[in-house]
Amino acid sequence: MIAVIGAGPAGLSAAATAAERGEKVLLIDSSPRLGGQYWRHLPSNWNDDRSLHYDFSKAQALFDRVLTNPLITRHSNAHVWQAEKNDGVFTLFVVRDGVEEKVIADKVILATGAYDRSIPFPGWTLPGVMTPGAAQAMLKSHGVLVGKRVVVAGTGPFILPVAAGLADSGAEIVGLYEANNPIRWLLNLHGFILNPSKIAEALYYMKKLRKHRISIRFGKSVDSTSKGFATVNGKRVDCDVVAVGWGFVPDLSLAGILGAQLKVDGDGTVVVAVDSHQETSVPGLFAAGESTGIGGSTLSMIEGVIAAGGKGKFARWRAQVFARGLQRVYPVPTNWQAKLNDQTIICRCEEVTLGDICSSVDELGAENGRTAKLFTRAGMGLCQGRVCGRNVSEIVAAKRAEKVHDSERMGGAQRPTAGPISLGELGDGLQKKF
Amino acid sequence: MTQPAASITFTFNDEKVSAVPGQTIAAALFSANQKVLRKTRMGGEDRSIFCGIGICWDCVVTVNGISNQRACIIEVVDSMVVQS
Repeated sequence: MIAVIGAGPAGLSAAATAAERGEKVLLIDSSPRLGGQYWRHLPSNWNDDRSLHYDFSKAQALFDRVLTNPLITRHSNAHVWQAEKNDGVFTLFVVRDGVEEKVIADKVILATGAYDRSIPFPGWTLPGVMTPGAAQAMLKSHGVLVGKRVVVAGTGPFILPVAAGLADSGAEIVGLYEANNPIRWLLNLHGFILNPSKIAEALYYMKKLRKHRISIRFGKSVDSTSKGFATVNGKRVDCDVVAVGWGFVPDLSLAGILGAQLKVDGDGTVVVAVDSHQETSVPGLFAAGESTGIGGSTLSMIEGVIAAGGKGKFARWRAQVFARGLQRVYPVPTNWQAKLNDQTIICRCEEVTLGDICSSVDELGAENGRTAKLFTRAGMGLCQGRVCGRNVSEIVAAKRAEKVHDSERMGGAQRPTAGPISLGELGDGLQKKF
Repeated sequence: MTQPAASITFTFNDEKVSAVPGQTIAAALFSANQKVLRKTRMGGEDRSIFCGIGICWDCVVTVNGISNQRACIIEVVDSMVVQS
């Protein structure tokens, strides 16, 4: 039996392909509905016209293939919190409805996706400041507009559909700020030539933005936020929501737990190392989608097919060229630390400030993100450093005029468990029914 | 897109809030213009949703007496009792 973890573009493609090749598949996903983050959609009671999606037909086709295939069993609302491999067989520990169960699989395909990368700035913990992914999720999954006057900022192609979707649903986009210069698009000309469908997609969003009279302001970013306004390159912009995102961070917890070799991508992002079949360094453990490198839904679907034994190596190469091009076009500006002050919170969970981290370096001798964490608790909270880990490492390194070592970056992606579990669930399956 | 009726209710800090079946606690509270979900342990600062997809744990609330539950991923059930 093949266990596929994650039901986004990569996981759905992997599950459908494997089942169509005659394999028994268990598709495990933490959400109630298929689609992952990219194809989040409203519940069936909404009569959703899918107008917030670009090309939802691809999602629907995969949903149909997965839902009608008798070889696929689905576990939704299920969280894999722990995993191990013994004698060539994988055991996954899955919590569903407050009950823990063990799943045995011969092959595991990780399609665990990614989440928004965040960078701290003064005021980023205020209610109303969120990631573009949060604004998008509230709208696409729940039909809720997070605000009336919204600033969308950061870098990367993702901020465009977020702004367009919010505007389509009635929000006023008071500012759309892309930190990088459009001249950098020339760095991915070859990517566009190899992937002409991406030109069509870019034009689709540009047209939507033009319809709402939204223009992208380049080279600008949010300096700070206060109640009711954001400061953008020194200028006050009144708003009730600020959505800022700096690309994505792959979710590598399960890959790390199972001992798969990780590696550091060109832009400092930690990813799972895979071979041409999408197999990790652990035999039988495959990875597809964002966990092998941020590349978007097209690349994720191709990788899912290959991980399940299907074809598509040329298509994958083409999409990888585009993904690498995007990395060059949309780097995170290196000067982000200059906007912080001593009171700025860096670790949201444990309320650790920049001042706390700096004094752990100056006074206590912290040498890297790990020792700064031990001195300050930055990264020890409920999110386990998923939001602040990389930022803390980079702050400590900058303070010591050093570069963050790859070993530290990869160590920061390692977690002893992939999700929290209560002692009751661990012991005898606490019935946590809401 | 048509929104179904907000046919279920729950309480948030003893105030009655209505929700559409399938909505998360955070989505229902944002619809009701309630963005502050909790105060922090040390600084007493207001916090709300941040990542919106269950990663950052900033939106945690107490649900039916069980603490540290993520408002952004737990769906509302009729008569649920939610506290900051």
